[in-house]
Amino acid sequence: MTAADVYAILPLIVLGGASVVVLLGIAVHRSHSLTLILTLTGLVAAFLLLPLVSIEAPRQVTPLLVIDSYSIFFSGLIIAASFIITVLSYSYLSQQRGHREEFYLFLLLATLGSVVLVASTHFASFFLGLEVLSVSLYTLIAYSRKEYGIEAGVKYLILAGLSSAFLLFGMALVYSELGTMKLAQIPTSLSNPSSGVSQVFVLGGLALIVVGIGFKLALVPFHLWTPDVYQGAPAPVTAFVATISKGAMFALLLRYFTVVNIHNYPSLYLAFVVIAIASMFIGNLLGLLQTKLKRLLAYSSISHLGYLLVAFLASGPLAAVAVAFYLVTYFVTTLGAFGLITIMSNSDRDAEDPEDYRGLFWRKPWIAGSFTAMLLSLAGVPLTAGFVGKFYLVTAGIGSALWLLVIVLVVTSGIGLYYYLRVVVAMFASLPKGSTIAPAMRISPHFTGALAVTILVLLLFWLGIYPTPILRLIESMVTGFS
Amino acid sequence: MSALIFFFTFALIAVGAAVGMLFSRNAIYAALLLIVNFASVAFLYLSLGAPFIALAQVTVYAGAIMVLFLFVIMLLGAERLPPSQELPWQRPLGIVLAFLLLIEAVYGIVFRVNSAATLSLPVVEFATPAEIGSALFSTYLLPFEITSVLLLVAVVGAIVLTRAEGGARRRALVSQITQAVATEVPEHKAETPEEEKELV
Repeated sequence: MTAADVYAILPLIVLGGASVVVLLGIAVHRSHSLTLILTLTGLVAAFLLLPLVSIEAPRQVTPLLVIDSYSIFFSGLIIAASFIITVLSYSYLSQQRGHREEFYLFLLLATLGSVVLVASTHFASFFLGLEVLSVSLYTLIAYSRKEYGIEAGVKYLILAGLSSAFLLFGMALVYSELGTMKLAQIPTSLSNPSSGVSQVFVLGGLALIVVGIGFKLALVPFHLWTPDVYQGAPAPVTAFVATISKGAMFALLLRYFTVVNIHNYPSLYLAFVVIAIASMFIGNLLGLLQTKLKRLLAYSSISHLGYLLVAFLASGPLAAVAVAFYLVTYFVTTLGAFGLITIMSNSDRDAEDPEDYRGLFWRKPWIAGSFTAMLLSLAGVPLTAGFVGKFYLVTAGIGSALWLLVIVLVVTSGIGLYYYLRVVVAMFASLPKGSTIAPAMRISPHFTGALAVTILVLLLFWLGIYPTPILRLIESMVTGFS
Repeated sequence: MSALIFFFTFALIAVGAAVGMLFSRNAIYAALLLIVNFASVAFLYLSLGAPFIALAQVTVYAGAIMVLFLFVIMLLGAERLPPSQELPWQRPLGIVLAFLLLIEAVYGIVFRVNSAATLSLPVVEFATPAEIGSALFSTYLLPFEITSVLLLVAVVGAIVLTRAEGGARRRALVSQITQAVATEVPEHKAETPEEEKELV
């Protein structure tokens, strides 16, 4: 490694260093606000370093990581989302008893794992980044150690371990055929006719890797953990699982399967089509049956990842832009929705029952209004970010003539609209006479949480009304990454 | 030829031990069979000319990790596994999928024999401790560091998740009891066992 290499990975070093500082800070002086400040400083420093680092881009740092504009864009997205989640966690943990400071350490380390994932160009960094992210999440999900939290943590631990085993097996099969774990060398080894490569093993290996990725993205045959984990984890952690963990994995998926051209493998392509259609249908249909809000958002996220696969399967330069822009809108909206759940939760439980939301508008109009905006954006109603994102997905799909997928996308979006609107209607319904307000309903949001949510609502409308600047940014950074 | 016999002997032992581990209903037997599996895989590494990896496999996996496994199983008294609760379609589906994977593997290997892929034998000094060390601290310095972060996460996570609930309350209770015992010895003698039980 040269000095320039070290310079290129400075954001990662800062994130790792910040976690050590936070760890030592907790050991010396246990203070909730001090830990928050240290964490936020680390995240801001890492974020501010990204534009400086981009001067050096694209740069291959050892065979493992590449610092190009693609990875810098997604690193920035991840770090910004992590910043919001940290602020929300402060608002959430202020009401909790027990040790709260270690929470931030795991947030930082999970962020580090995600940043490694989006810059990964080698199976080793893929696996290590994934494991750093997963192991941090085991702890975060079970952090509150309430009844459902432990259950969710154990479920995630076992299933994530299993999916990692699938992933490793797939990597081993690909390696045994191609003799390389470097992403850049895979296409050349594949197309080399004299090497006697068995396509069967490569295809089997890639399929097993897709299983491992599909678990993290909660795509349909691998989605069974999602509702339970979403329900059991503390609301800010659920936001992390729904946004950063999935976003980093999707960025990696797009990079890997653009280099290993997915259109060369009809069976794998077909598998992705089936997964996308199943995710869109099952996410939206099972969402109709849910009453708990966090479970509903779990099914919503399953369907959103299905929508994203439509753009992933489309080819051409628009596809990557559509994926990146949709991820931005999905991040803003999902963070906003879980942020609102966070500021409405109290020390006993997270606000997710239907009663918690009934008639919310008449007591907390701002919270109800923001929530309505988030839900409408998830449904993809015009003037919100979700609409523009979905518009780009459909455009990318039509551009590649993926008619079946586009039709399924439109139809299932229509189904999904129903359950989002059900929550909106409940919020505007009047309270039945003589009903008492549940304890979780006495909301006194911490100003940090309220601030974070306000920023997200403003971003939501900005992206929905005037998305041009962010689209320009994405077009200049995301295209032509391989 | 002798290399082939060596390979098949240990490969069969490894596969047999792994299958036995999966079917054993006793956790101790399963752990011991896993040790057999690790050890026979170590012999395969040895036959591939990687003595350092073979020995690391024996000391780290078959040694340290499995001792910890056995220790935890015995500590929890979880030798007998409960009868498995499986879904009705789980076993047939598993068998079909495993069979498909087996067919694929056999097909791949047969296909492989026809193509003239020559296996290049590793050089004599392959994977010596010095070589592994220099690789870890040059080309693979970055994953080495990320691995250390991974271990840090695992250690701190385990501590956070197993920390004692309400440590302050327990300490207060302990001091209360010791005070009570010191002042009113005869009255409290009968009560202390229950209170002590509470502490545990």
